[in-house]
Amino acid sequence: MAASTPLDPFLRGSTSKNTRGLLRIIILCTIAAAAVSARLFSVIRFESIIHEFDPWFNFRATKYLVKNGFYSFWDWFDDRTWHPLGRVTGGTLYPGLMVTSGVIYHILRLLSLPVDIRNICVLLAPGFSGFTALAMYLLTSEMSSSPSAGLLAAAFMGISPGYISRSVAGSYDNEAIAIFLLVFTFFLWIKAVKNGSIMWGALAALFYGYMVSAWGGYVFITNLIPLHAFTLILMGRYSSRLYISYTTWYALGTLASMQVPFVGFLPVRSSDHMAALGVFGLLQLVAFFNFLRDQLPGKQFQTLLVALGGTIVVIMFLGLVALTASGVIAPWSGRFYSLWDTGYAKIHIPIIASVSEHQPTAWPAFFFDLNMLIWLFPAGVYLCFRNLKDEHVFVVLYAVLASYFAGVMVRLMLTLTPVVCCAAGLALSYILDTYLYAQKPVEESASSDSNGSIKASKFSANSALRSTRNSIVGIYSVVSKSVITSMVTGFLLLYVAHCTWVTSNAYSSPSVVLASRLPDGSQHIIDDYREAYYWLRQNTPSDARVMSWWDYGYQIGGMADRPTLVDNNTWNNTHIATVGKAMSSREEVSYPILREHDVDYVLVVFGGLLGYSGDDINKFLWMVRIAEGIWPDEVRERDFFTARGEYRVDDQATPAMKNSLMYKMSYYNYNSLFPAGQAQDRVRGSSLPAQGPELSILEEAFTSENWIIRIYKVKDLDNVGRDHQSAVSFDKGHKKKRKPGAKKGVRVLREE
Amino acid sequence: MRLFSSLCLLLLALLSVVSGRSAVGDRVLVILEDESQKGLYSKFWADLEDRDFKLSFESPRNEQLSLFRHGQLAYEHLILTPPKSKGYGPTLTPKILLDYVNAGGNVLLGLSSESGTPSAVSSLLLEFDISLSPDKHSIVVDHFNYDKVSAAEKHDVLLVERPGQLRPDVVNFFGGEGTLAVPRAVGQTLGPAIPLIAPILKAPMTAYAYNPGEEAQSVEEPFATGSQLNIVSAMQARNSARFTVLGSLEMLQDKWFGATVQLPGGKTSKTVNQEFVKQLTEWTFQEVGVLKVFSVQHYQITTASEPSQNTTQIWEYNPEMYRIKNDVKFSIEIGQYDRTHYVPFVVPDTDALQLEFTMLSPFHRLPLTPSTTTDNSTIYSTTFTTPDQHGIFAFKVNYKRPFLTPIEERHQVTVRHFAHDEWPRSWAITGAWPWVGGLWSVIVGFLLFVLLWLYSEPPKEEIERRRALSVSTS
Repeated sequence: MAASTPLDPFLRGSTSKNTRGLLRIIILCTIAAAAVSARLFSVIRFESIIHEFDPWFNFRATKYLVKNGFYSFWDWFDDRTWHPLGRVTGGTLYPGLMVTSGVIYHILRLLSLPVDIRNICVLLAPGFSGFTALAMYLLTSEMSSSPSAGLLAAAFMGISPGYISRSVAGSYDNEAIAIFLLVFTFFLWIKAVKNGSIMWGALAALFYGYMVSAWGGYVFITNLIPLHAFTLILMGRYSSRLYISYTTWYALGTLASMQVPFVGFLPVRSSDHMAALGVFGLLQLVAFFNFLRDQLPGKQFQTLLVALGGTIVVIMFLGLVALTASGVIAPWSGRFYSLWDTGYAKIHIPIIASVSEHQPTAWPAFFFDLNMLIWLFPAGVYLCFRNLKDEHVFVVLYAVLASYFAGVMVRLMLTLTPVVCCAAGLALSYILDTYLYAQKPVEESASSDSNGSIKASKFSANSALRSTRNSIVGIYSVVSKSVITSMVTGFLLLYVAHCTWVTSNAYSSPSVVLASRLPDGSQHIIDDYREAYYWLRQNTPSDARVMSWWDYGYQIGGMADRPTLVDNNTWNNTHIATVGKAMSSREEVSYPILREHDVDYVLVVFGGLLGYSGDDINKFLWMVRIAEGIWPDEVRERDFFTARGEYRVDDQATPAMKNSLMYKMSYYNYNSLFPAGQAQDRVRGSSLPAQGPELSILEEAFTSENWIIRIYKVKDLDNVGRDHQSAVSFDKGHKKKRKPGAKKGVRVLREE
Repeated sequence: MRLFSSLCLLLLALLSVVSGRSAVGDRVLVILEDESQKGLYSKFWADLEDRDFKLSFESPRNEQLSLFRHGQLAYEHLILTPPKSKGYGPTLTPKILLDYVNAGGNVLLGLSSESGTPSAVSSLLLEFDISLSPDKHSIVVDHFNYDKVSAAEKHDVLLVERPGQLRPDVVNFFGGEGTLAVPRAVGQTLGPAIPLIAPILKAPMTAYAYNPGEEAQSVEEPFATGSQLNIVSAMQARNSARFTVLGSLEMLQDKWFGATVQLPGGKTSKTVNQEFVKQLTEWTFQEVGVLKVFSVQHYQITTASEPSQNTTQIWEYNPEMYRIKNDVKFSIEIGQYDRTHYVPFVVPDTDALQLEFTMLSPFHRLPLTPSTTTDNSTIYSTTFTTPDQHGIFAFKVNYKRPFLTPIEERHQVTVRHFAHDEWPRSWAITGAWPWVGGLWSVIVGFLLFVLLWLYSEPPKEEIERRRALSVSTS
């Protein structure tokens, strides 16, 4: 650790170590503070509010935990979601996040600091990002002897937009603590491999267990560490250090992960976890053969190796195939397939493909999220190759895997960010060390400070031939040093500016509250979501069941506190398809579905008035596709496109489109806002039919200020047994026609 | 709370008993256009007033007339007689009448072939899927069951028996001995699929609808024939408001109450119109056939865990949450209103009251059996085990029969999964013993190994090493 710092000659001596240590601590604290404060933009710009969708569930679960205690949280059966199926919430979530906030809450209360649980939840992600920076420092310091690498990596990590995107204040999601755990587990693993220590291995297992309890992305660790061990074995770097650290980590880590109810027996049953088990077995074999090699002569050993090793490998492979085929080991999950084949989800699992964060990453996103780190990253990986120790192999593997995954799925940019920061820290510290510390290899100037070396270099340059004046532009010259240093400083400043700008402009919006600019430049808050959710909260009975598309399930549960049919925990595809069918069918078809599921209110999001493009009509095709997956005969995506293959909502819209419940709910009464015949949809940019749709099974209950949220009440059955359509036409004064078939044709007789 | 509210309801019911014999109220509005006709029905009015109904007579011409007062019903019951003119005018439009039914008002609609049925009324009836003949002056005639005394020529006074049971599972409120005289009735047909409407009095097999004015067409293709043609039919709305269509208002006239009639080839007899009309108004004005659920109770039964306790324990009544595989007792207390008070409701032998335990589809459908009878009600109950499926279930009792108030009870409960500490412990499962044994043998073996390892080092080397250590430190 203690690299000498010739730049500070006055610090040489017995106190220098302490001074540098103190400086390092101060720098790290400053980095952590910067990391936290950069994430507070959202609170300053908007307010202390939980963001987006999933955090609302986590927040609700945390409130439940704090209110009812850990055991009832563990056994929580949630009857306010997935009506009427309910959800075994305690057994189907990763409890790490909620438990962490709960522990913090109770500790603060113990210290007589009664902090509202909402504020703890809002500020948890920024707080943990400070820890992530520290963990990054520790991890990178293991990779490099230069002390600046760790500090640079920590600073990068602290403010990198790729990580900030998931950890601003209010973004109370699993990733908030999971990235810290990811980096710290890797640090502990590296430490364990370096030292061959049971203690570090056990600590790695402990934090791996914590990671498992916090985020489904733990599978990344579960596969990366075995891959590292496997690669080391292949490279002939098997050592007792590796054996000790891996077996300790695997045995304890697997036990720890099985304590989470949601994971349960997956570590021994699912294919995602088989690599870890396989490498564990392989390590035993390798250790055994290593032992044999010491005992046997070379020739016999080789024969034995081929025979025994081959047999074992074949038996194990056959066993794995048999277990997979018989279903003891679960097949690969759909999300996993979509990692390899980006088209897979689109064809087979529309519900996964419909989530925007599961889409492949666009190229600009890399530059947007990582800025200059993205081109320092390959350099850092190259440097790892130059000095290829066990831990560098890890970085290389991590870099390769994470780059691939980040290219496949937008959200996995998050796992790429740590290794990019690490590699960039290595690369940049190498450059800086090279230019700042490098001294001309002349003996008399070797021990002096930079001023001395410059003088020496000038002297030597002047005294040499013209051709040797090249050394002025070499790395020893003050010119090159200052040019490089100032360039690096410039880049770093640009990076900081970029990160701050991205954070404040792109990643701080809560998406529950929309911001727009008025013509005079001032900010205008569009608060339709909360307006509507609070309307539900205050005007409907507490068990009124609300149907909406699943995107809004968590928010309705969290903000409106009403039971929902489907939510963002998309565990039951059929139930979601049922909602999709109800939305995309005619009223007569939808009504029995609504009755069967005891729906009281239907909520739709409509952006046509404001030009808000994330509305339900734009998501409608996904509803149709998901419903078509279950009822291919009743719902057909083709019916929603015109003959020319266009998706339209105006006069040319197909009958299926115009008769669908979603279309009717979106545009019901919308005409009344405009002069006759001039209704305009500002999202689709089309003018609507002069005659608006009519609704008979629903009645409008609430429409928010900007028409973003529209809530409809489901009518009860007609009191005198008519269908709703004729009841509505009677109310409008149309007389019922006698059945035309009564006169001619067969009479339908009544039988009792 | 539930007990309190049911007590309140009981009190209210008692109050209404004090004020009248109907379960809902005693104010009757009679719409009669021609005041002079009032005398024709004096026995009918007297019958109603004997049963404590307060009659108000209004002409449809009265513009102050309103069926509602302060948003509430001004009259619980309404008797409509056919108007002379085209309709009832702006105070009694079909929409207002429908609102009246939706608000719980009962209607007795009398039709007459003489004045014809206004289109407003027939369009209202069409909403209930009761159709009248398009020909306004069509009447029901029967050449076999006519009254020889009064209609020897025209055959338009029908003599019919009082109706029998409609279906085996339906209580007959209109039965009895005797012959009814139905003069010049307007026949109705009922839509085939609507369960809310039911025939009360059907025309004889040989009857048909016919307009004496224009003969040719209606004979060729009559509006309806035989028992498809109803003389009296009823509609009971989901809110239990009752709407009775009486094909022949003339039936109510004094002259047909106890008139002497004679079937062709039969002997003379007295009509029982008065008794039948009494039965009809009793049903229409909710004096009979009104069912009420007094209370619903469900709880978990826990069988005694020790043999010394042989009583079952009840923790909580009407809990919001059960667990899967709980034993649950469900009971429902139902009373039937019978003219002055509630009496125990008895389900006919051919019928059953059923409980459904439902999530999307019924997991249990069980007959409810009478367990206790009180003065005013019967308590039906059943016990069952909650299914091995967690979710949000509902206890549903859905009992809808013609002429009886529909019962539709829905009580939502949550059925949760086993909590972590409700499973049997590992040692209680014999199948787990090999694994438990394996676990403990590994633990014990490891401890033994550690002990062996620690204590089996060669003592000599140890002493030497310690000596070496002490030498090096000193």
